[in-house]
Amino acid sequence: MLLFLSRRIGMMLVTALCLTFIVFALTNLPAKLETLAKTQAGSRMTEAEVASWIERNGYGSPMVQRYGEWLGVLPGWVRTEDDGTVRGRCVDRAGTPEAAGDRCGILQGDWGFSTRFRETVLNVLSARLGATGWLMMWVLIVMVPMSLIVGVLAGMREGSRTDRTLSTLSIATTATPEYVSGVLFIALLASSTVGLSPLFVSWGWATGPVLFQGNARSALDSLTFSNFTLPVLTVALYGMGYIARITRASMTEVMTQQYIRTARLKGVAFGTIVMRHALRNALIAPFTVIMLQIPWLLNGVVITEVLFSYPGFGWTLYEAAINNDIELLLASSVVAVVVVLITQLISDLGYVWLNPRIRLS
Amino acid sequence: MTKMTATDTRIHPAAQMYASEVAAGTLSRREFITRATALGLAAPAAYGLLGLVAPQAQAQTPVMGGTLKMQMIVKAQRDPRTWDWSELANTCRGWLEYLVEYQRDGSLRPTLLESWSASDDAMVYTLNVRQGVKWNNGDDLTAEHIAHNFARWADSSVEGNSMASRVSALMTDGQLAANAVEVVDAHTLRLHLNAPDIALIVSLADYPAAVVHPAFDGDDPVANPLGTGPYLPVSYEPGIGAVLERNANHTWWNAGNGAWLDRIEFVDLGTDPAAWVAAAESGEIDLNYQTQGDIIDILEAVGLPRSEAVTASTLAVRFNQEQEPYTNVAVRRALMKAVNNSVVLELGYSGLGTAAENHHVCPIHPEYAEVANIGHDPAAARAEIEAAGLGDYEFELISVDEAWQSETCDAVAAQVREAGINIKRTILPGATFWNDWTKYPWSATEWNMRPLGVQILNLAYRSGVPWNEAAFANAEFDTLLDQANGIADADARRVVMARLEEIMLEQGVLIQPYWRSIFRNARPNVHGAEMHPTFVVDVVNYWKS
Repeated sequence: MLLFLSRRIGMMLVTALCLTFIVFALTNLPAKLETLAKTQAGSRMTEAEVASWIERNGYGSPMVQRYGEWLGVLPGWVRTEDDGTVRGRCVDRAGTPEAAGDRCGILQGDWGFSTRFRETVLNVLSARLGATGWLMMWVLIVMVPMSLIVGVLAGMREGSRTDRTLSTLSIATTATPEYVSGVLFIALLASSTVGLSPLFVSWGWATGPVLFQGNARSALDSLTFSNFTLPVLTVALYGMGYIARITRASMTEVMTQQYIRTARLKGVAFGTIVMRHALRNALIAPFTVIMLQIPWLLNGVVITEVLFSYPGFGWTLYEAAINNDIELLLASSVVAVVVVLITQLISDLGYVWLNPRIRLS
Repeated sequence: MTKMTATDTRIHPAAQMYASEVAAGTLSRREFITRATALGLAAPAAYGLLGLVAPQAQAQTPVMGGTLKMQMIVKAQRDPRTWDWSELANTCRGWLEYLVEYQRDGSLRPTLLESWSASDDAMVYTLNVRQGVKWNNGDDLTAEHIAHNFARWADSSVEGNSMASRVSALMTDGQLAANAVEVVDAHTLRLHLNAPDIALIVSLADYPAAVVHPAFDGDDPVANPLGTGPYLPVSYEPGIGAVLERNANHTWWNAGNGAWLDRIEFVDLGTDPAAWVAAAESGEIDLNYQTQGDIIDILEAVGLPRSEAVTASTLAVRFNQEQEPYTNVAVRRALMKAVNNSVVLELGYSGLGTAAENHHVCPIHPEYAEVANIGHDPAAARAEIEAAGLGDYEFELISVDEAWQSETCDAVAAQVREAGINIKRTILPGATFWNDWTKYPWSATEWNMRPLGVQILNLAYRSGVPWNEAAFANAEFDTLLDQANGIADADARRVVMARLEEIMLEQGVLIQPYWRSIFRNARPNVHGAEMHPTFVVDVVNYWKS
């Protein structure tokens, strides 16, 4: 077990190292550094000013060296300005040259500084991951039970009318990407001129101008049914169809097993068969898929959060990418790696628990 | 209302002249007000010269209190003199004030100045600093502080300091000239220019000209909110929003004439107008920053009526004369001939403006001169392109992905295509586009208005200036421009301007299709927040009923 865990963590570290190096290389292309300089010090700067900014802010040294600085294995850059003040990677962070250490990188626990948000990466990410945490939590609360119920109901009797209806629905939701369903929801439910809201208001069934808010910014201060329903639904529906399909496939397979037939022949009630005998075996595949789905949902979260202007992890990733916020992007990719590997770990452990035939060795 | 009667009582001779020009119909009333107040005339006196009474801006009595929520991009802050977006200034207007402010009617309102006057040759300016203004740390505002700001503005060694080009008449070797700013007494300054500059005072109303305290360290005005205004930042998160609240521990110099709101929240909802509409519908915003195209009607339909500002803002579809094939003037002029500006206005900007004449001087500028235009002639355009040996060449027109800009360029390209010339369109996302905006062979750039015609020409078309994206270098043009900068009389300047405009057309510098009107939508209970021609969000004068 310990060996298994340590191997997993080792793999996580190697993956994170490779990924961050790729992200670092891409965000440090000369053209990208120019973007950074212009977003930082004025979009209408001249070439010479850009070059001077890049040099003065420590982006002039070789890329591998700066990657080492970011990791904390190499000492951070230091330079003395013409007027005698000392500036440097670590000096700028600590405030004074005396307080600054030699190295300041990941190994020293310093995740860097976000150029887009003018804030330490740690603060930005913790705040934004918190916001996404709420979104993901509600998505899972809505998505998992719904998809399992739909999948089990559809898979109980393969080919029945219920099966056909539910299967069509799941295929439809999973075939609709978030950027389509999100826009459809806003048009249908969150507009005072088109869709259902004006209809409901004219019937007197709704009080406000709109049924749901098409913008989730206020959810940052307080989550309400009105401002959080649409983003949650947008993310959840996409994953729901997929998980429901897997559950259905797994369920139909289990329902054709010999032991189910034996149980039926012995006269056990259909409900009992489903609940007692079929369900646990049928849930093995969906469990893995749900766990694998979480990193996928983080993908969908980028689109959904930007669409509903909800500043979570996905929104931050988007902002960091378009503004070439190097250290924030690097930290985000580390977060992504950790999320993927942790969910995989949970799925492996859960698999063992659900399927007694498998042992970790 | 602000105290405006204290401005210099002597009436500048040029101002008298302008008044007669208005009477003769050669100067618009709006431009008269800009010009006359720039020469140190108080707005009521300027209106008086025309035999008019100054309009009362607020018909209703403002109500104290309330929270206003406004959609606006909130960007990471930096040193005010390096601001490149009006939004950066707008979030700080609550505590950073200006020497003068440009008003919606085109007049200049003295803010931290009480009055100013210019010598007849526009070489010496006397500034009277307002008495009784306190910084929010308790210090008194003195002429020394203003002199400090001039030194900051004139420091061209600071990367991205755009104020340096505005106060260039006070500079030598990239710094403030030794005797340029003379502190006469605690509240009087005298500026000695090394070249006449009639635009100096209006330039001090531009958004990077916020006045900072000498103790300001020159980086982040939010982290160190030292200012003279009535508000203070409570929170500031780029990409998310900013909140200002009234500063309870500070006596504002103009108390009782503004600062009505208790709290102002700027909400950054990104650049997608669909998000603004969604937020407006769910009541999350009271007004937006700027609305374009179809969104104006959509927001009106959900209960936010529009307000309009007529401006000399435009889209400059310029050729870079250092890049092939635009090194050839015949090619540039041929492409201009292929385009009918009225059609571009209609298709690209839904007719929300007036057609322009490709020389970047607007009829509302006082020195605007009517000159023979290049004319719309697609057949000749095609023939000239063929004569230049580019019959099979595929031109490329680059624009940023903002809807109105790319639609305008689409309309330009469609007409070029119609004339039988090959053209392709390239649309770049904002983050990429601005990297090389001065380098593209043929692209479109948004230019905001400046109150005087010479100002834009100085910023964008003088040889070698940083924002000269057309790479336009013409000795005759530069000489005439210098000359125009020293002529206070708009009629006399118009003669020079006519030639400047002609050079712009002869040299085929740009296709400049239209002058934009700009719009904002706000709930009916928001007052004083009408769209401003230079995008000023003067929260101090906004109020809610």
